[in-house]
Amino acid sequence: MTPTTLRDAYRSISQLHENEKLAAWLQSKRAIVWLTPRRRRQILFFGALLGGTIALFRRQSQWRDHLSATSWLAPALALPILLALVYLLYLAAIHFSRLPAAVRRRPQIALHLVFWLIIALAWITPEEAGVWKTAIFLIAVSIPYLIWRCGYMLLSGQRGKAAGTAFRDHLFYIWPMWGGTNTPQGKGADYLTQCEAQSPAAYARSVLAGIKLLILARIWDLTKLLMGVLVFSNPKSPLAPSLGGYSLEIPRARTLLTNEIPASLLMTWLSLYLEFIWETLDIAEDSHFWIGLLRLFGFNVFRNTYKPLLAKSIVDFWNRYYYYFKELLVEFFFFPTYVRYFRAWPKLRMFAAVFAAAFLGNIYYHSLRASGIAAGELPKIWVSLGRPRAGYCFLLAVGIYISMLRQQKKRGTGAQSQAGAALPRRLIQIAGVWTFFSVIHIWNLKSPATLFDRVGFFLSLFGF
Amino acid sequence: MSRQQHREELIKFLRSIQRRDSAIKEVDDSQSLVESGLIDSLAALQIVSYLEEAYKIDFGDNAIDPGDLRTVGTILDIIERVTTS
Repeated sequence: MTPTTLRDAYRSISQLHENEKLAAWLQSKRAIVWLTPRRRRQILFFGALLGGTIALFRRQSQWRDHLSATSWLAPALALPILLALVYLLYLAAIHFSRLPAAVRRRPQIALHLVFWLIIALAWITPEEAGVWKTAIFLIAVSIPYLIWRCGYMLLSGQRGKAAGTAFRDHLFYIWPMWGGTNTPQGKGADYLTQCEAQSPAAYARSVLAGIKLLILARIWDLTKLLMGVLVFSNPKSPLAPSLGGYSLEIPRARTLLTNEIPASLLMTWLSLYLEFIWETLDIAEDSHFWIGLLRLFGFNVFRNTYKPLLAKSIVDFWNRYYYYFKELLVEFFFFPTYVRYFRAWPKLRMFAAVFAAAFLGNIYYHSLRASGIAAGELPKIWVSLGRPRAGYCFLLAVGIYISMLRQQKKRGTGAQSQAGAALPRRLIQIAGVWTFFSVIHIWNLKSPATLFDRVGFFLSLFGF
Repeated sequence: MSRQQHREELIKFLRSIQRRDSAIKEVDDSQSLVESGLIDSLAALQIVSYLEEAYKIDFGDNAIDPGDLRTVGTILDIIERVTTS
């Protein structure tokens, strides 16, 4: 087998979704023809109702320790209240121009205020309220999952694009039947509609692209399992017995952070880089699964993770690593800050927008996720705000700002080609990105180590 | 100013912020500027600044979707929408 044959074979597998013969065969299948956009949306709508109900029962079970009364009645009460809330927000989106001026000017702030009021209600409702207290609590713990999706719906209303849409056009992404993280993968109605396959041919291509991502998700899952055994020597891995005990035995970075295992400087650096690769694979695996499912339903949206390890700048990496989280921060924090403040000072304007998104927005998003918010455990909320992740967000914001300034300087100086930039130069750029994200990940590792412990660990990497 | 004149001005501006490795020669109105690699996502911010300065567009008041800056055609639509309103 020649290298050319191998390359062609690889291309035909990796470009499976662009295989014309396969797409033509698939588009003639009865299921593809029957699943029109309308029918697909109906399935997703009823799936959302079912998924939402199951999720509320699961949440009651997860938060059992915080609840004095649990009963099947609590999720049954919480579900219609949550649906009514989402429906009211839908009405606000489609009649956006009729909302009070203050809400029209700052709809996202108004939305977050409403949700914080519900959280406050969960705090002040007495234990004696029994099942009602549990129902309000379940609504409050569902908020971090729903708030950004509802935010996209309001944004659509603000841009005048929600008028004429039906409730089912929104509920399916606000409460996707397959769950997912708090980050809306596929954003909201505007973007999803723009990417929706309208013909059997386009749907067949979307399905193939979805299958490709689901296969990739399995591959990254297997790679992680192999890495767990061969690199990190994880004895609990299901692959451990079949790999004969062979392992590089690189310690996990979080164990080095707390000095559980002594390691040489070289081993510490190696551990950080490998941790970074592992995290990237982890994000890619999960998000390929969510995006793969969206594509199977005909929404041929961008991948969440697209070859981030080949990024040549910090901004480029951030764009490729977790696209929909970046988009969330850009649409809800970066862009509103950029268009409103410091217009006369371009550098300050960009600095403020980057910090609003990568630092403040990032911290706020993760604070909402913190356990204990709905339970009113104020010390936990305080800890979540001041936890080491703040250091990560700060360094990320600084890195992105510098990277953006560097890109801006490079741009617009003519069209001399850099496409053929020498391989060593590209490798140095990629290595720079890996090093930056491996190092700032120190402040993002799950560990009891404090912010300052992590600063000490960081300095130790340079021999201090 | 006609749409064609706005277009010429816009292309002139886009050439000044193009990526070094992809010169803007011919660009279709529906071609995605970022996805086709003609500009990078950061350049979208410069398009915002350009539209603010050249057409006095207030993005804060008009709640414009950053996604609407993705093609020459959609940018021209914004200019038309705001200048005629």
